Amino acid sequence: MALLSLEQVSVAYDNHFILEDFNLQLEKGQLLSLLGPSGCGKTTTLRLIAGFLNAEQGKFMFSGQDYTHVPVNKRNFGFVFQSYALFPHMSVYDNVAFGLRLRKLKEAEVKKRVLRMLDIVSLNDFEKRLPQSLSGGQRQRVAIARALVIEPDLLLFDEPLSNLDANLRVNMRVEIRRIQQELGITTVYVSHDQEECFSISDQVAVMNQGKIEQLDHPAAIFKYPASEYVARFIGFGNFISFENRNDEGEDIELSTKGFNFQAVKRLNGAGNKGLLGAIRPDDLQLLVNVVDSKLVSNTLPGTVQVSTYLGRSYQYEVETELGTFTVNQEMEEPFRQGQRVTVYFPKEKLVLVQ
Amino acid sequence: MNKRFLYLLLLPGILFLAAFMLIPIMLTIASTFVQDGQLTLEGYLHFFRDGYFNRILFTTLRVSVVTTLVCVVLGYPAAYYISRTSARKKSILLALAIFPLLTSPVVRSFSWMIILGKKGLLNTFLLSTGLIHDPLEIMYTPVAMMVGLVHLFLPLIIITLLGVMENLDYELVLAARSLGASSFTAFRKIIFPLTVPGLIIGSILVFVGSLTAYTTPALLGGKERVISTFLYQNAMTLNDWQAASVIAVIMIVITFVVVGLMNKWANRLNPKG
Repeated sequence: MALLSLEQVSVAYDNHFILEDFNLQLEKGQLLSLLGPSGCGKTTTLRLIAGFLNAEQGKFMFSGQDYTHVPVNKRNFGFVFQSYALFPHMSVYDNVAFGLRLRKLKEAEVKKRVLRMLDIVSLNDFEKRLPQSLSGGQRQRVAIARALVIEPDLLLFDEPLSNLDANLRVNMRVEIRRIQQELGITTVYVSHDQEECFSISDQVAVMNQGKIEQLDHPAAIFKYPASEYVARFIGFGNFISFENRNDEGEDIELSTKGFNFQAVKRLNGAGNKGLLGAIRPDDLQLLVNVVDSKLVSNTLPGTVQVSTYLGRSYQYEVETELGTFTVNQEMEEPFRQGQRVTVYFPKEKLVLVQ
Repeated sequence: MNKRFLYLLLLPGILFLAAFMLIPIMLTIASTFVQDGQLTLEGYLHFFRDGYFNRILFTTLRVSVVTTLVCVVLGYPAAYYISRTSARKKSILLALAIFPLLTSPVVRSFSWMIILGKKGLLNTFLLSTGLIHDPLEIMYTPVAMMVGLVHLFLPLIIITLLGVMENLDYELVLAARSLGASSFTAFRKIIFPLTVPGLIIGSILVFVGSLTAYTTPALLGGKERVISTFLYQNAMTLNDWQAASVIAVIMIVITFVVVGLMNKWANRLNPKG
């Protein structure tokens, strides 16, 4: 049975629903990310779980008990804020000890646990410092230590890395994943950064307008988006609307305006539904030779419109009869503007969405 | 533009202040130490030996302290509520809170006379309900002064506290709550300590304001004197400018001592060091 489940939950703000009939399940020990653009309801979901706001309707079950109306301070969930929310008038030690002292532990026990936790987040010798004398990454680690030291039943992260610079962000997410797995603690993680979510999660839920569009393993979502929305969000920049589809052969046969395409069938049917083809700019290939596309499937003739240098590769905007496609390609000599080319769609990379 | 030249812009203001404020104050202070052409502390000693003056001093301090405390007790929760409410409600409440500042102290004091007088609204009401049988003597007592001064200074402390509370990150409270604190504990351990500096600054403003206020105590205090009205009486009625100067210096010293002590206290409690 799931450790955490939201059942038919609705949350409204000024008569406007942010979540409606929302459902979510999470197994013990897993790290689930809620991914989506701002305003999609991911932070609302997290705050609902934390108990900072109440559901209008629906139920929140945790470890077999009804938590819907349990107040924040009785939930024993650790929460890490985007702003860190460290108490500015307390030292690092007192910040981390805050939750333990509320639990009326003996000061010797408090000390033991605080120091051990500061050791885990590599902040030994920082106990006496005030939060404002720490760097962003150090503050972040204090915030994590403070949430972890109470041995929470659930750990909640609200965009914890968005105030850090790029390098630190990568280090910290590795660190968060390490600590989470070391302590085997069930975690819900909110972010709008897909790379961050994919790299640390067991499960990713892509959210849109208060609904989960797709919930799956990171690799599955990355390769096989279930809807156009998810495909766009995770970087499938190119789409083709097909008119016909035939599933009888070894591959799926597709066609539109006299052009024929094939897409590989996948075992569990992921990324195989619908009539909208999607493909990443990185997966398209440009060929110098112009072929007769009416005869050779999975190709389209086109003209290079824009060429942009991206450092590792060039990005081209190629105009074709089926619209403009974006292609990233590594090469020594770039294509010229106005050059005639053929766009090739590898059949194993072409995904179908609804 | 040259930076040094910019200082010239300050010159008219500085000259004005020096000529009409600093020098007169210096002269006033100096004059209190001279009597019959001799340097002496007699002017001060005379006052502190005088029971009447000591009583006035005590009344002044008592009125100021009580006014400050009442302002804190009334203003703190009000400021907290305003800081946590929606933007629209906030501007309305803030306008209401500031409104008393926009009316003249004379008008306000007369309003209080109508309410607190022997045959005023309050007594009429209490007598008609049968709660009391003889009218309360509130008018022309220190209590009337306190009422008037609280009315005068409440906006000041609300505005000061609001400034501090609006800067307070509410996520700190959520963080404390998620770590197991009840609402009350979160208030006690997080909100209150972080608003203490504002509380002290607000208190200084109210205390010094009450200590030096003239109109309100003069109109509501009747024969009850505070330092400022006593000073006025010495200068204007008794024409004893020497005594008035001594009182003025005593008032300045008390103000500086109180502000200095509270500032020190505020600095020590300031969480951000």
